[in-house]
Amino acid sequence: MKSIITYATALLVGVLPFHAALSQSAEEKGLEIATATNQRDSGWSHVTADMEMILKNRAGKESRRKISFRQLEVHGDGDKSLSLFLEPKDVTGTAMLTFSHGLEPDDQWLYLPAIKRVKRISSKNKSGPFMGSEFAFEDLGSQEVEKFAYRFIKEEACGEGFQCNVIERLPQYKSSGYKRQIAWIDKEHYRTIKIEYYDRKDSLLKTLDFIGYNEYVGNFWRADRFEMVNHQTGKSTSLLWTNYDFESVLDDSDFNQKALKRLL
Amino acid sequence: MKLPKNLLRSLTIWCVLFWSANSYALQINYTMDLEWRGFTDTSSVQERFNRDVSVGFETEFRTSFNDGNTTLTFTPFGRWDSRDPERRHYDIRELNLIHAAGDWEFQGGISKVFWGVAESNHLVDVINQTDYLENIDGEDKLGQKMIQVSRSFEQSTLSAFILPGFREREYRSSDDPLALPFKVIEEAQYESDDGNSHIDYAIRYSGYYASIDYGVSFFSGTSREPDFIPGDTPGEFVAYYPQMDQFSVDIQVTDDAWLWKLEAIRRKYSQRSFNAVVAGLEYSIYGMADGLFDLGLIAEYHYDDRGDPAAVTFQNDLFLGMRFGFNDAESSEILAGAFYDFDDQSSAIRIEANRRLTNNAKISIEAQLFTNVDIGNITYGLRHSDYILLSLQYFF
Repeated sequence: MKSIITYATALLVGVLPFHAALSQSAEEKGLEIATATNQRDSGWSHVTADMEMILKNRAGKESRRKISFRQLEVHGDGDKSLSLFLEPKDVTGTAMLTFSHGLEPDDQWLYLPAIKRVKRISSKNKSGPFMGSEFAFEDLGSQEVEKFAYRFIKEEACGEGFQCNVIERLPQYKSSGYKRQIAWIDKEHYRTIKIEYYDRKDSLLKTLDFIGYNEYVGNFWRADRFEMVNHQTGKSTSLLWTNYDFESVLDDSDFNQKALKRLL
Repeated sequence: MKLPKNLLRSLTIWCVLFWSANSYALQINYTMDLEWRGFTDTSSVQERFNRDVSVGFETEFRTSFNDGNTTLTFTPFGRWDSRDPERRHYDIRELNLIHAAGDWEFQGGISKVFWGVAESNHLVDVINQTDYLENIDGEDKLGQKMIQVSRSFEQSTLSAFILPGFREREYRSSDDPLALPFKVIEEAQYESDDGNSHIDYAIRYSGYYASIDYGVSFFSGTSREPDFIPGDTPGEFVAYYPQMDQFSVDIQVTDDAWLWKLEAIRRKYSQRSFNAVVAGLEYSIYGMADGLFDLGLIAEYHYDDRGDPAAVTFQNDLFLGMRFGFNDAESSEILAGAFYDFDDQSSAIRIEANRRLTNNAKISIEAQLFTNVDIGNITYGLRHSDYILLSLQYFF
């Protein structure tokens, strides 16, 4: 129901009764936190934003990508999203349309502007790098509750002075590159502050930090900066988000194969 | 390069218009490519074409207004070639206005349209004339005048096209190694009395259902593909464009890492008709060699019931291809493909590789080898035309 970029909160929910927390298993509490996180970020309807991606190799050499992004909230199914690539210049105008479906394979179309072709592509490549970056496709995809099994681990301080619930997430969808993830979610607004990714051999692969949360119209929280570090290769990728807009005029007709061709 | 005066004038007007009106909303993308082509068979008559250098330039002006619902695009393209004067050509790839109103979309002007799912040949894709001056692979298209109206439904789109103004196929100079093996007379002939101003029309219904993408199309009008009839001078031919009705279907089933593809056409001329099909699959293996590259495997079979290898390129042919996509920051990619003709054992191989150099530049290499060409095959004229093409693209 929600992408990783949209961990945020809309409404205040009552504090969990203490006795309920005591009688809960770690799995139940983990699921409850994930469900609440999802709940807090429901109702944003649609959003547009611009993203700049900075890839750094071990030697510090940088390359950049620019993407214009729009997303439509779908009730009862995964979200629809459309990414328009602006840079590097050789891919300017290339666009990707994704209809995500939780545990079912996503529907995905790629638009190639030079030949005006819209091509349905396989969405199996979950663990592959997105545009050569340290973000895998699955890291940026829609994060529905049912995609993971959860386990509450502990509470601890995290990020810039937040109190966090720490939960473990085990991917339930096919072709994930991870055995598990550990997520730090702040207790006040249910924002994701940090995620650790463990590879299939259960070694720590990557850490993602969400920095600079802002509250937008409708009380939705979005981070300005995602910092992903790959501990095994020494490479890193930063995502810088700007121009978040929850009030643009978008509807379902802006998320179809036809719309792919008139984006630029 | 021959630039008609009125074209230059219109170009200037457009530029001024674009700059003065809403210049902040105008996007301009320039693409320049520098090509170097070398033919490997230096002993053949094509020797003067060795070290052929060419420059192409395309500019895309685009502006949108009305909350992004109306878009104006102008994409002129031109190429200069050091050896082949016919390759010094100019085309307006796009000059169109698109207006989207909810589920409706209206488009008028010069546009490009792509139909189909196959990789190695585009059977159902009949709206635009193929630009063989650019490349013999048939991927480049000339702009086509059209009025298009589309209505989108939940998971499908119905489009109707009115296509005034036919574009003739253009040919390389007869001494260009990649030219047809005979001279084509400048003046074309048409079945229709309206000649190249016959108004064609087309209709297409396309969409998806679960893992299936489909398209059903009908086209009626001037065939983009000419017949060659002997001219008055022996050895010279006239391109003759008959009228045709074409009905086609294209289907792709996307099943996990497998893509299953089918394109089929039935084409009816006034005197004859034929059927053709391309069917195949694409299979992807992600993260091979510890994530170093993704491998795509493509197999496509081509059939055409005219059955004559001397007249039809893909009458009983197999295409096998491999795509290596390296997961690096430079998006390095290698494509290798081979055609094999079951009827006369002719074969051809093409290898393409490309890599990003900077945010604005890309380098690519293409090698085309006609490994075995039967005397009765349509590609016989190309038997000495193996080449390597090095190209540098610059975007700004």
